Amino acid sequence: MNTRDETRPAGRGLGRRLLAAGGCLLLLALAACGGGSGGNTGGGSSPGGTATGTAVRGGVYRTAVTSFGLTNNMDPVGETQIGFAFALYDAMLRTLVTFRHESGTAGTQIVPDLATSVPTPTDNGLTYTFHLKPGIKFAPPVNREITSQDIAYAFQRINDAKLVAQYGYYYVGVIKGLTGKAKTPDNHISGIETPNSKTIIFHLTAPVGDFLQRIASPAAAPVPSEVAKCFNQAGTYGRDVVASGPYMFQGSGAVDIKSCSTIKPMSGFDPTKNITLVRNPNYDPATDGTRPSYLNGVQISVDPNVADIFARVQKGQLDGSMTDPPPATVTRQYLTDPSLKKYFHSDLINQVESVTMNLAVPPFTDVHVRKAVAWVLDKSAMLRALGGASHFSIATHIIPPTLPGGLAASYDPYKTPNESGDLAKAQAEMKLSAFDPNHDGKCDVAACRNLAFINISAFSGVDTVVQNDLAKIGIEIKPRDLSVTTAFTALFTIKQLEPMSALGGGYADYTGTYSFAQPNFGSTALSGPVACCNYSLVGLTKKQASTYKVPYPPTGIPSVDTIITKCEALGNGPARNSCFAGLDQTMMTKVMAWVPYVWGRNIVITGPTVSQYTMDITTSSLSLTRIAVTNHVTLSP
Amino acid sequence: MLVYLTRRLFWLVITLLVITAITFVIYFVLPPVSPAVLFAGKEATPQLVATVQHELGLDHPVWVQYLLFLKHLVLGDQFGWPGLGFSYVNHSSVKSLLAGRVVVTVVLAVGAALLWLAMGVTIGVISAIRQRSVWDRLALGFAIFFISAPVFWLGLVLLWVFWYKLGVAAGTGYFPPGQYGLLTWLDHMILPWFTLALLYAGWYARMTRGAVLDTLRQDYVRTARAKGLGETRILLRHVLRACLTPILTMFGMDLAALVSGTVIVEVVFNLNGVGQWVVQSVTSDDIPSVLAVTVLAALAVMVANLIVDILYAYIDPRVRYE
Repeated sequence: MNTRDETRPAGRGLGRRLLAAGGCLLLLALAACGGGSGGNTGGGSSPGGTATGTAVRGGVYRTAVTSFGLTNNMDPVGETQIGFAFALYDAMLRTLVTFRHESGTAGTQIVPDLATSVPTPTDNGLTYTFHLKPGIKFAPPVNREITSQDIAYAFQRINDAKLVAQYGYYYVGVIKGLTGKAKTPDNHISGIETPNSKTIIFHLTAPVGDFLQRIASPAAAPVPSEVAKCFNQAGTYGRDVVASGPYMFQGSGAVDIKSCSTIKPMSGFDPTKNITLVRNPNYDPATDGTRPSYLNGVQISVDPNVADIFARVQKGQLDGSMTDPPPATVTRQYLTDPSLKKYFHSDLINQVESVTMNLAVPPFTDVHVRKAVAWVLDKSAMLRALGGASHFSIATHIIPPTLPGGLAASYDPYKTPNESGDLAKAQAEMKLSAFDPNHDGKCDVAACRNLAFINISAFSGVDTVVQNDLAKIGIEIKPRDLSVTTAFTALFTIKQLEPMSALGGGYADYTGTYSFAQPNFGSTALSGPVACCNYSLVGLTKKQASTYKVPYPPTGIPSVDTIITKCEALGNGPARNSCFAGLDQTMMTKVMAWVPYVWGRNIVITGPTVSQYTMDITTSSLSLTRIAVTNHVTLSP
Repeated sequence: MLVYLTRRLFWLVITLLVITAITFVIYFVLPPVSPAVLFAGKEATPQLVATVQHELGLDHPVWVQYLLFLKHLVLGDQFGWPGLGFSYVNHSSVKSLLAGRVVVTVVLAVGAALLWLAMGVTIGVISAIRQRSVWDRLALGFAIFFISAPVFWLGLVLLWVFWYKLGVAAGTGYFPPGQYGLLTWLDHMILPWFTLALLYAGWYARMTRGAVLDTLRQDYVRTARAKGLGETRILLRHVLRACLTPILTMFGMDLAALVSGTVIVEVVFNLNGVGQWVVQSVTSDDIPSVLAVTVLAALAVMVANLIVDILYAYIDPRVRYE
């Protein structure tokens, strides 16, 4: 038997038929491939116009992010996602006073928004009285005038423990009667008076110099109780946030607020897929001197493929990026091509990243060891590892220069040639330490071995640099790159006593230096066994150490509580700024718990359709109320 | 058959219970820090953590939490049926977040499955009937190349060539046909379908080739030829049917596994499917979402197995279930 004959094709006819079938399939596939690109995200056309610098009213800013990263699903009471959520809030919500929302220090100026003017506190700084402008309405579906009771209700929501106000500690204990322990948002707060629908008065327990900055936070924006009362679980109101600003979620008008059971999520917000903003028909620009609001809408989609986001910008399907830094290849392309460079925007923001050292963990109980670390780190190499000067700037001190009271970059108490570190100075400092008993400039004891160095992938590029540099002074670290949740949980957990991390700092909670200083260096930030963000345990008291069952070093732990409290009581102005500058100097020269290595930059790549671009220093993001495009995309309300 | 089905369904339920229990332990019992702490935010005082724990139902004993989870799964919760709970991260019902994503993943999986089946079986058959010819060599090369090529690389290359450079493909994203029309939808699904299908087509081509070659050597095929039946009829009615069993087994398992998410293709092509979402949920400790996908995946695999086993009885008369 000839096996080969048996298995010869069942007639060439069959082979041909199968080939023909396959060919047809391929042809069909290719025919279906013959589609165009672009435009179908908003039914719009191809991009038109050039970035002339002239802002034109109209169009839709189409962008994408790899993840919204929301912390409370856009419910302002608990949302802390600065850079994204706060940029949307600037477009959607108005507060009694607000920032100018521009770049640079001009953007940090407080201006009236819902209020007729920025009040001066009375009663020795304990009382703030605001009068509301008439005729300012909520967006659909509420459609009525905003009253002082709506603003009071926002604070009542902050007071409701169930709603988990993530920045509640900036109000709890500050406004009389606001304890953060209420069981419902219906509890009246004794320190907030609303004598009529256009007046609201805050009574404080003690003078707070940046109370106006705190009032400018999205959590303090008016909330209509007839809608919000239906959402008694944290974050659930976020899908039905009622706007008071120039923009609202698409589909707001279609929500039926007759009763709680009829309220459905607004179609313009899907927490894992897209956010679409359209103009608020009730918004009156004559009442707002801050927001030009050129756009007719904003369309933000989630695209987990970051390279795809920037490819879509280049193809014209998106008008620009928003929060994701571009891949290295894209950065290189834009920075080396003169025709593209103008679309690459890199602006300094209120962000610092620092190497943190735990003051309760040897060898960092000794200030000489900490200073030695400050001297030895090669910040230039760390900057290069993180993408270079287009992505970050070398930090010479802790408080970013963009914050009020932030010293200039020229203040650099650990200045080294090319910011590359100075081994000689590091060793000289180490020799003064008890952990270098033979005074050879290196840490000689077991406490300097196998120290965990917590990091996340965004900053893992610095691991090798830090490891090599610290090895020169006898400190051996074990870099541990963890997921964001795991890394910060480890650092938040006081008892875990993580010795070092690359994650000190981040963003300021709001554009006020207290919001940076207190959570990072105040002993009151150590409010529970798990708390953000004082990873170095600055100011840890013996009582706290006993409560959290951590060792208290015999040499003690320095505290800057007195300085923070003193600065916080000062009103906005040069004295306050100077006070916080002094805090930075104390942290850098006396405490040295953190070695700042970079200040953040916000990078956005825009396309030719963007005719005006502005970065908002207070949200550390592009300003949706100041950007302008020349596309002709339209959106339905 | 009825007895067999009942027995299989019983074991399906038992297996689901074991899988969900293990997942529950992994996410609720093993972590050193309660999920409530992550929810409670920056200054999580013990009182706030306690409040959040109560709101999320995490203050019950673990076994009570697990029973409540099962109860909601079977009877529904405040968000409807099935009761999949409340996402800690997205503050929405898991069911509402999952529903649209399941559709995307199923569309991706089924479309790719039909393609790989058509391509793989066709190529496998041609390769077998043209053994050791140029076609056979080409088929082998096809299979080896696409089995070896990483899926993410393949997807990125196809995207770069057909969309970015040639502009003949539509780019990324999922565009529901009801909203954007059938053509736009198809336009955007072609590349993801092919990316996924080419990997599997390689496997199926090799498997089909082997099975067909094996069957062509059987006595009954020789007998059929001797009786004067045409080769086409022999191939389609006798040979392929006999080869279907292993192909069907693999197909069922592969399709079921894909239903729980094709992470890489979904990320590359920006398809908001289950796979992409579950990775985000795992990294952000969104335990209810992870649990929901685990249940879905386990159910998909077990139902697929059951369907495959039932189909065996119809395809192969020798298979009978007592």
